[in-house]
Amino acid sequence: MLFLEVYGTYYHTVASILAHAVDGTLTDRLLTRLVQEQAFGESVLTIPSALKSGEWPLLDRDLGTPLRHAPSMPLTLLEKRWLKALLLDPRIALFQPDLSGLEDVEPLYLPRDIVFFDRYADGDPYDSPLYQKIFRTALQALREKRMLQIRFVTPAGAARDATCSPRRLEYSEKDDKFRLLAVGSKNTACTINLGRIRSCRLLDPVPEDALSPELPRSELTFLLYDQRKALERVLLHFSHLEKKTVRLGENRYQVTLFYDSADRAEMLIRILSFGPMIQVISPPDFVESIRDRLRRQSALSGMPRDS
Amino acid sequence: MAYQELIKNFDKIRRYIRDFYVYGFRSRMEYDTKSPRSYDNERRRIESWLGDYMSFHQDAAGKRMFLSLDSRHIPHNPLYRAFQARSFTDRDITFHFFILDILADGKPRTFAQILETLQDTQTEGSRNLFLDDSTLRKKLKEYVSLGLLAAQKQGHTVSYRRTDSDSPDLTRWEDAISFFSEASPLGVVGSFLLNRLPEAPDLFRFKHHYILHTLDSDILAQLLDAIREHREVTLTLESPKTHALSHSPLVPLRVYSSTQTGRQYVLGYPEKRLNPIFVRVDAISSLTAGDPVPDWEELNRRGREAEQHLWGVTIRPGRPLERVEMKVHVEPWEDFIVRRLEREKRHGRVTRLDANTWLFQAEVEDAKEMLPWLRTFLGRIESLSCSNAYVQNTFQADLDQLNRMYGLTGEEDPNALP
Repeated sequence: MLFLEVYGTYYHTVASILAHAVDGTLTDRLLTRLVQEQAFGESVLTIPSALKSGEWPLLDRDLGTPLRHAPSMPLTLLEKRWLKALLLDPRIALFQPDLSGLEDVEPLYLPRDIVFFDRYADGDPYDSPLYQKIFRTALQALREKRMLQIRFVTPAGAARDATCSPRRLEYSEKDDKFRLLAVGSKNTACTINLGRIRSCRLLDPVPEDALSPELPRSELTFLLYDQRKALERVLLHFSHLEKKTVRLGENRYQVTLFYDSADRAEMLIRILSFGPMIQVISPPDFVESIRDRLRRQSALSGMPRDS
Repeated sequence: MAYQELIKNFDKIRRYIRDFYVYGFRSRMEYDTKSPRSYDNERRRIESWLGDYMSFHQDAAGKRMFLSLDSRHIPHNPLYRAFQARSFTDRDITFHFFILDILADGKPRTFAQILETLQDTQTEGSRNLFLDDSTLRKKLKEYVSLGLLAAQKQGHTVSYRRTDSDSPDLTRWEDAISFFSEASPLGVVGSFLLNRLPEAPDLFRFKHHYILHTLDSDILAQLLDAIREHREVTLTLESPKTHALSHSPLVPLRVYSSTQTGRQYVLGYPEKRLNPIFVRVDAISSLTAGDPVPDWEELNRRGREAEQHLWGVTIRPGRPLERVEMKVHVEPWEDFIVRRLEREKRHGRVTRLDANTWLFQAEVEDAKEMLPWLRTFLGRIESLSCSNAYVQNTFQADLDQLNRMYGLTGEEDPNALP
């Protein structure tokens, strides 16, 4: 059972309020601010009044408290069991966590209990000492906001050197790969598969006035015909993207997706996978790419009736 | 009953969040609820928890709420907020802070000592709360089962202490928690841990990130517990159309999680235990754990056999395997197509036939499940054959329809693009 109040926003917020009450710095204004910053949108209607009215008798009238210590909570068994389960995950080799305190704890689940049946088979080599070193150097660069000098191999096999400002490490569960999101020397956003990096070295701090260009975005609109449960399949499949869906009529919908332009080729095959359940109507160049694929398919011989 | 921001039961709100997030085109009147007030309350709660991500569009039929975000561009899954909205009583929150405060020095104390300290430190408002010592007993027992307290028995006396000293140093887990809270099963537990850190690190982003799984975390945790303990469970399933509830026993063996469709399933044996089945986790409203199953290992062995030729999540016992062969045209500069075949083939085989042709072959339980993947090679397929004629015919019919749809045949299609 993990839907419990001890993990809740209210307990967490009240703990912050009481910490200030214990050291005598709590004011009305601070109480309201803590609720606004930490709790939900409408919590300001409940938490301050419950504390001040004595419904929750944790504060006295002058905003002091009978508690003697700033509130804290030990880790629950559930939290420890989750941490223990992580120790069985091959990706934990990238981190160097503290193993103490988990000796007598059962893992919350075992890797063999969960099958990622459609994950790609060429995931990153988490057990490689070189990969681990590169990962940790990239992580250190991110934490310390430092530039990186990297040598990587292109898909064609050529070695390249580059200097970049790392922004984030991006992980794809489908690809089981990390990518370094960075800003290159020409102030353009770029992504480099971590598995293609052969060496990397920390450089100076990223200049404070460095730009943070975003990856260019694209928009795609299609008609969705709800046959063979396509409505649920399509909308769930694209649910991780920003999208807008409008019902046009019985079993007919219009969906607009927003995605990173660099993923256009991937987007094309994802759209094709739904066959005639999806009809792209915009932008025209995307429609033309689909037509091109279909023309090429028609041109190939013996398709598909030979057996 | 007056509106409250917090809730006791997660199942109802789970359906609303899912609907706003996946569909987002329904108006207030289209929600199948006992009263429009119920819809208003759930919508108001979700806005209160996830307001930054809520939007709406308005048309003649009314306002249509939706939750929209690109999970690639945010550090943490906002749906975790819903798991932090459990309601509680005045007594719960008061005992919580007082008990942990009394034991904060790390020294063990007996029930009587805790009760006495509580009564000494009480404020005027708390006096009535501490009169009933059975509530304190229950709360101490609950906190021992949660692992917040440890109970030590000496003779007839039980003393309680906090368990801080038995825990790892979270500051040395910061980066790992930040990553795994998004990239591991039951990541919501990681979000609870992140809340304990002074500042959550913002180092990672997640692509192809299906955050909706989160809503099923409580069910998933119970299923994984049952798998670990080899227990049978009784599932309460809700029909998506009629919302009628049914109860089904199942011996769960494994969870199947898709990284491409956003769905999760549990594989297990139903009541008669003849053949294994898959059940969608998001269709399970609740479950009750039963007794351990003595023949679990035998069922697991049979399950493993049945899983040998799965492409997706369909098992068709007693039917012959279906054979699929696809010849793919690859130009010399298109190595990435060969890499795609190799990494996406699952238990299929890939061989080179000549300079430009690669053969994919597989024997699967249900070739229909392969149709979406096969279509991703459109424009490169030299030939496709399947021992199930339905699959081959459907592939061709869909292709013909696509050609009409995009105006590539002489035939008129009402939906053809200009």
